Amino acid sequence: MGKVREVEVLLGPQHPGAPGNVAFRLKLDGERVIDADVIPGYLHRGFEKMMEYRWWEVDVVMSARFCVEDPDNFELAYVRAAEDVYGVEPPEKARRVRTIIAEMGRIQSHLFWLLFIGGVVGARYIPSWAMAAREEILKWYDYITGHRVYHHYMVPGGIRWNIPQDFQERTLKVLRFVERIVNDIKRALFDNKIFQARTRGMGVLKASDAIRLGATGPVLRGSGVRHDIRIVDPYEAYDEVEFEVPVGEYGDSYDRCLVRLKEIYQSISIIRQLVGKVSPDGIYRYKIPLVAPPGEGIGRVETARGEYLIHITSTGGQTPYRVRLRTPSMAHLTTVIKHVLRNEEITIADFPVFVKSLDPCAPDLDR
Amino acid sequence: MVMVLSSIILGLKYLFTRPYTRLVPEKEPPFKTETTRGRHVLFMEKCTGCTMCQRVCPADAIQMVKVEGEWKMNRKKIFPRIDMQRCTFCAMCVEVCPTGALAMTDMTGWDMTTDNKETTMYMPYQLTPPEGHKLTVTKQKWIPPPPMFKPKPKVPPKKATR
Repeated sequence: MGKVREVEVLLGPQHPGAPGNVAFRLKLDGERVIDADVIPGYLHRGFEKMMEYRWWEVDVVMSARFCVEDPDNFELAYVRAAEDVYGVEPPEKARRVRTIIAEMGRIQSHLFWLLFIGGVVGARYIPSWAMAAREEILKWYDYITGHRVYHHYMVPGGIRWNIPQDFQERTLKVLRFVERIVNDIKRALFDNKIFQARTRGMGVLKASDAIRLGATGPVLRGSGVRHDIRIVDPYEAYDEVEFEVPVGEYGDSYDRCLVRLKEIYQSISIIRQLVGKVSPDGIYRYKIPLVAPPGEGIGRVETARGEYLIHITSTGGQTPYRVRLRTPSMAHLTTVIKHVLRNEEITIADFPVFVKSLDPCAPDLDR
Repeated sequence: MVMVLSSIILGLKYLFTRPYTRLVPEKEPPFKTETTRGRHVLFMEKCTGCTMCQRVCPADAIQMVKVEGEWKMNRKKIFPRIDMQRCTFCAMCVEVCPTGALAMTDMTGWDMTTDNKETTMYMPYQLTPPEGHKLTVTKQKWIPPPPMFKPKPKVPPKKATR
């Protein structure tokens, strides 16, 4: 009696509670999780090196694959960095279309996350409606870009091809469908007392700690910090639109979930403001030369999971000299998890819920 | 019970709606649009053997192979062959082809499913337009071609003055 006996348990990578292909080595004291070490590398593909061997326009195909669930914002960051190297200003129309595509990516990423958070709290049925809404968005993507998941629609200098004639009607139709389903999910899941009992007051992250630990995106905003790259450092067409940045109050898991749900409404509002301003006429792209000038470029965007930064160095060749990525999930899966487990009693049953409320993405951790 | 009643009522509403899942292939064909990027088509009489498609391919799915015969445009007699196991269907090869010899159809991975790995390598003469599928991405998609970006002449940095 009195002697603490620790048990080591492996969670993942093939576990329904694990967030994608990432594993954890958990230390348990009874039911309580004392410590969690993340075991990365299951999805490591060496993107930083691979991008050094491909042409500037072709690297768009690489950059969509950093994060499977939210490829468009990652594409956008690379495209902005490459434009920074070349010194090219994309046409105004291309900037608006790219903003619409990126916001649609944020919506579908959050809808996909809804299924997982429902899965870990044991409510698969209600979030499965979100998959129907996401499917409509994927069909919209197929119509605009030609693919469902990896779109390869943005290029340095604009968008790859022109938008179709009925772009506006199709987009508004999809948004109406998505908004109706999200309203229902809000009533059925977020107002549900059982869901609140599982997430409220669990996994609390204070604002000062969130800043210190390098958390970004909905995790930081869930802790009450109003920080969003779209507001702080507006890029693309974000300075033309008005939107709110939803923040949480207590910094617990429920606040983070609620911030994501509110972001879906804000993204819908952003797209509605922009979609009337684009038309199929006019220049959509400037073709860039094969060889880039020497220099450096930076792309910094707010993805669905947090702040993402890409830094490219060019020595004046057909390919980048060096590419460096800073992805949001790294901080969430390492420092944030360790900090919360140390300060709070989280049981093994609550651990998947807490991890999924951070919404980490295994591919962008490993890249 | 009362606190989750609204969830149950809303759930019942969705329970009696039509299933959203697409029943492929019993009831419906797989979803496709006029822009879906699928299997390639090679117009051999247009190909010049310039190897641009091979160089641009991000997945290294294209290699050039020799095809004997009389080819007016193609003195070297080399044509692309495409490994569909590696292909990411990004349409970069279609975009970069100077003569429009490559195009894409709406024949997606679902139509190409096979249990024989040896059939995934498509030789140039196998890349004919497939029956029952239409061309989706062609060189016409980039007409008119986007204007070339002209970088501004560089201004030499001013020397610091004290």
